[in-house]
Amino acid sequence: IPISSRQAFPLPSLPRKQPTVLVVCGPAQNGAIGLVCARHLRIFDYEPTIFYPKRSPDPLYRDFTTQCEKMDIPFLSYLPTEVQLINAAYNAVVDAVLGAEAEAGEGREPCAAILATLKHVRIPIVSLDVPSGWDVEAGSSGGISPDVLVSLSAPKQCARRFLGRQHFVAGRFLPYDVQKKFELNPPEYPGTECVVALRAPR
Amino acid sequence: QEEAQAIDQELFTEYKFSVDQLMELAGLSCATAIAKAYPPSSFTTSQPAVLVVCGPGNNGGDGLVCARHLKMFGYEPTVYYPKRPSKALFEGLTTQCQKMDIPFLSEFPAEPALIDELYGLVVDAIFGFSFKGAVREPFGSILGTLQRITAPIASIDIPSGWDVEKGKADGLQPDMLISLTAPKKAAAHFTGRYHFLGGRFVPAALQQKYALNLPPYPATDCVLQLT
Repeated sequence: IPISSRQAFPLPSLPRKQPTVLVVCGPAQNGAIGLVCARHLRIFDYEPTIFYPKRSPDPLYRDFTTQCEKMDIPFLSYLPTEVQLINAAYNAVVDAVLGAEAEAGEGREPCAAILATLKHVRIPIVSLDVPSGWDVEAGSSGGISPDVLVSLSAPKQCARRFLGRQHFVAGRFLPYDVQKKFELNPPEYPGTECVVALRAPR
Repeated sequence: QEEAQAIDQELFTEYKFSVDQLMELAGLSCATAIAKAYPPSSFTTSQPAVLVVCGPGNNGGDGLVCARHLKMFGYEPTVYYPKRPSKALFEGLTTQCQKMDIPFLSEFPAEPALIDELYGLVVDAIFGFSFKGAVREPFGSILGTLQRITAPIASIDIPSGWDVEKGKADGLQPDMLISLTAPKKAAAHFTGRYHFLGGRFVPAALQQKYALNLPPYPATDCVLQLT
């Protein structure tokens, strides 16, 4: 696993006085990236809360969990199915449930239930790499509709179906030979930023 | 020095951070700070060439990470890494640099004039806050040469060769210091132009416990300019 910076920096401007963010983490690598993201959000003075129902046994990911716990980031024991509760408590949801590695039928529960709830939230969703539940190539009809997509390394094919407000790529630290090999042609990153917006906000 | 070591210890044992994680964030901070103070357009050498001198420990590791990010930011780093620990972490970092076509010198330029001609900046990643005692070769001669160059030097965490608390009046006088986590006592003796704080990973609870009183970082930046 590359030690490249696994930091997603979504930059929404939050309407509420307390910058609360719900980070929903799935059982595999996408979830682990969510944990790292939550920790950085905390450092940036946001107030993240994590929902991480199915924890990976991977020691690296267990350490990420410890780091979050020690930083006083609360872990929910269940996700409210009453969407209004989520809308009221948080300014945004970070969807780190399923990434590009997930297969359609994998990890049915509790992911399916989580995604069913997330489909109905009114607050913005920021998806990491792939909107969870979408097919990585074909996209999805009837799945969640994120407001912001942060593509990791490079956009996946399903990103073409993304209709939200902002699409960022976090792939600055990919070695050049990897970029060339996969013909990634990334855009210019401004200054020392590690994310670049692919589309101007609407 | 003990406090810095205690904070590190807590980060590793209590918070379960890996050395890799923190070193990556530290090295990234250094490259970012350098990019802010010495943008590629400011170099008088034909390319934005930077010499990164890496010591035998973690400070050297920070330097390797820094070199890799400098390359990403459009600089042309070259590394001198004479004493390499045979640990996977350092071997990995070295490979990452090599795969990014960052050259590794087989010997240190003997003449200060040669360094000044080839490089617009030297990154001092030789010794860090764990440094104690006498400087062993080849680093003694390297530091001697570095003291005679005119190109600016950016030191990572502690100007190498300085006493971590008292400084060293007749030692290296870098133009830039990037303090990691928090400035060390020696930073009080720093007289260069740029002092940055990097290593934005210290949890609030630890900051309070050790009364670090760090000023706030701007937005999502990983560095803060102190002077």
